[in-house]
Amino acid sequence: MIGCYDFCGHYEWTFGWMERTGGHPLVRDYWNEAINHDSQRHARDLIRNEGIPGMLKYWGHTLLEESPDLGFNISHRDDVFRIDFHDCPSRGFLLKNGLKNYRDYCDHCMGWTGPMMAEAGYVIDHEHSHQGQCWWEVRAASATGGHSPVGSVAGDKDIRLRPEWPKDPAKLDRYNKANDPDQKLK
Amino acid sequence: MKSPSASVLPYVDTKPVGSADFYFAVNATFRFILGRLGREGWIRYLEEMGRGYFDPVNRQWSRDGLAGLARYWREFFQAEPNAVVNVVELPDRVEVRVSECPAIKHLRAGQREIVREYCQHCFYLGSARAEAAGLTMRLAGGNGSCCHTFAPAATGLAPQDLQQIREATS
Repeated sequence: MIGCYDFCGHYEWTFGWMERTGGHPLVRDYWNEAINHDSQRHARDLIRNEGIPGMLKYWGHTLLEESPDLGFNISHRDDVFRIDFHDCPSRGFLLKNGLKNYRDYCDHCMGWTGPMMAEAGYVIDHEHSHQGQCWWEVRAASATGGHSPVGSVAGDKDIRLRPEWPKDPAKLDRYNKANDPDQKLK
Repeated sequence: MKSPSASVLPYVDTKPVGSADFYFAVNATFRFILGRLGREGWIRYLEEMGRGYFDPVNRQWSRDGLAGLARYWREFFQAEPNAVVNVVELPDRVEVRVSECPAIKHLRAGQREIVREYCQHCFYLGSARAEAAGLTMRLAGGNGSCCHTFAPAATGLAPQDLQQIREATS
């Protein structure tokens, strides 16, 4: 049986299998069709119907289940929803267990939330360090903001304040007002 | 939290039990692969996962035999939310008697359309894993309750009858 206790392990393995089987387009379609439109349809419905309050409901519940040790922080205002991952439960599972079958596991988040947010009228600013640390800011597609100054939304919970957060931009994958996993800026 | 040395599960987490909503993703993954690659592609996915991702478990089963296999399944189902399972060690085989499948239960509770082939995944995956460990696996039942039988290849279990695996219903 495929279990849920090690879900992140076989989920990551599946990305590599998909890429070997059908190339990058199959991986992209998998994230959008299977995860956004099927598995996580409850998130999609909440966010399309309620916007930022829906994001709060979805990630508030999901992250508490996945990360009871609170390795994350959620901040929000009327114009922005932000998550800082200090210890991502999903990427952390792979790092702790030495699992790697796909080139960048972290891409799956943009892979399914990017299209989901586009359908709901939002865009995403994001950086990830590949070490279980990242931040996300979601704003209306029409908003002018993006990549807020350090600490201005999340205060002292801003992951960019942590000493281990890379100072070298080359060590970060970066997205500006994105909805597509392939809009990555290095 | 289980430490790697205290557990026979190959991959450890900080949580004692997994998040049941991940069953939604497993079901959706099956639907996607069946739709894009067909039944043969889906079986290939499961068999390759069985030999690849689960290789550490297969080697453990090969090394520790039926006793190790029984311990693995007990610990595995302890980490699956709301599973009701009895692992029975018999002289020539281990039976994993599932009274309440945690995946089927959660998918129904979440009002998800379950792929009808869902229960067959346990056979194709389990069979590939067993074969890699020098064992044979058979499955009977499904749709919420079933019995997985593992035995050394030399035991000579009867060939799998796919009609013995029930289709999953939502």
